Amino acid sequence: MDPSPSDTPPLSLRERFFKSWFPPAAVVGGVATLVIAALRVRPEPRSPSPAPAGEPAPAITPPAPLERQYALVATIGGHALSAFRESLLDVGADHSGQVVALGDGHVRVFTAGGENLRQWRAFDGAECLAVGPDGRVYVGGAGRVDVFDGAGQRAGGFSFGDAGKPASVSAVAVHGADILVADASARLIRRFDASGRQLGLIGDRGKTKTFMLPNGKLDVDIDAAGVVRATDSGRHQVTAWALDGTPIGRFGKFGMRDPADFVGCCNPINVATTPDGKVVTSEKMVARVKVFEPDGRLLAVIGTEHFDPMCTQIPLAVDPTGRILAADPVRRLIRAFDLSAPGVTREEPR
Amino acid sequence: MIERSTRRQFIDRTCRLAGFVTLGGAAGLLARRASASAVYQVDPLKCTSCDLCRTSCVLSLSAVKAVNDFAKCGYCMLCPAYMDVTSMPDEKGVPAGRVCPQDALKRRVVGTVDPDDPNNNYYEYVIDEARCDGCGKCVKACLPPAGNGSLRLEIRYDRCVECNECAIQTACPDQAIVRVDVPGLSPKGHDVTHG
Repeated sequence: MDPSPSDTPPLSLRERFFKSWFPPAAVVGGVATLVIAALRVRPEPRSPSPAPAGEPAPAITPPAPLERQYALVATIGGHALSAFRESLLDVGADHSGQVVALGDGHVRVFTAGGENLRQWRAFDGAECLAVGPDGRVYVGGAGRVDVFDGAGQRAGGFSFGDAGKPASVSAVAVHGADILVADASARLIRRFDASGRQLGLIGDRGKTKTFMLPNGKLDVDIDAAGVVRATDSGRHQVTAWALDGTPIGRFGKFGMRDPADFVGCCNPINVATTPDGKVVTSEKMVARVKVFEPDGRLLAVIGTEHFDPMCTQIPLAVDPTGRILAADPVRRLIRAFDLSAPGVTREEPR
Repeated sequence: MIERSTRRQFIDRTCRLAGFVTLGGAAGLLARRASASAVYQVDPLKCTSCDLCRTSCVLSLSAVKAVNDFAKCGYCMLCPAYMDVTSMPDEKGVPAGRVCPQDALKRRVVGTVDPDDPNNNYYEYVIDEARCDGCGKCVKACLPPAGNGSLRLEIRYDRCVECNECAIQTACPDQAIVRVDVPGLSPKGHDVTHG
């Protein structure tokens, strides 16, 4: 005998749930999930979580408003007629504000606005230049300094170092009759007169055992008062010396957070002085330029947006009006920065 | 009387000769390949230190090791390949974190030691190959502009087992594992010394 429907055992609560309620509930839930996922607004990138109390933020803190602000006022080398095609090694400025640069194996002279005026061939292996107060151009490199007048005629020069192993000249600076040559291979600064006679050494005395140069670059400049400024990049310091080699002072330390500190393994990499005695430095790794008081107080930061991040150096010069000239060897451009009122921004010239 | 060969005989001999030449050539080629001194090596210009050398090698500890080119090394006090320069500084202002997860990069002072100021010393950085797993973190950190680019990855011939098909070469996305001919080198020889 067949069992009648009334003989069928009643469904349990669990069976009833899975047979009658679960399928429509699952369908509704799935559709709702899809709709929510489709309508979901993409969340904003999360801001970095705040650092624990007592610890500084993990990233480099943006510089607080500083005493000085600089704005980009000119870019030299960005046009077809003025472009540096293969290299840009150093930059200087003469007493009239003209920009003198070493690149593509030539010394090239530009107006302050970037118009190409003239150029002449430099010797093979030229690495740096400086412009004297009389307008003469001093080109250094590979144990040699050549002197040119403003028109490009050779007016003298001298060589030094051991035969077969020439000194690595990474910077030249001129003050009156003194010519300072940064010898990176000897890790000191040589002081010459115009005839090439060595008058003395800077940085060869004392406990500091000459400059520490992990990357083989030593930069030097001298201000109007005759104070020599040189980079001691391995120690993360800017050093100050008298012309006779007496140490006057130093400032700077390693740090990745305070903008007044110098980042990475070896910084600052270049140095220059302004007509009013301030010290300008540039750094690699975080490619930026900073302006300091001679005692090391930070006055201004010219940010990383102006330079290629792969710069291993940013040669500097300051013209008589106080404009900072910074050469970007990767993009092969010279940027000119001038003091501006806080908050003033200018369009970058194209 | 000269016996002239038929066309069939001529074709038969020619085919035999061609067969012998082919077989001989193939045997010579195989013999040459078997005795060749070509080895796998990392092309530093292509390598991006992607970490696959560490994970792809058939050895439990990869045959790829970091190598420091002392001629390029800056002997920095604050070596970016040794110290994590973004880490918190200690009481001396020196970053406390280390880049190498295996602690395989060792340093020691070279020259005159100034115990008072670590900034007055030069430091030599060497790889402890027993620890190095070829992850390439130090190589990446040493690249310019942060460092001088003195560190690179290299396959160590005293560890490499010369697989017929190098697993790292297969995995490398940059085709940085290349075959190089090193005359006189025994790829599997364990008597090879490295400078």
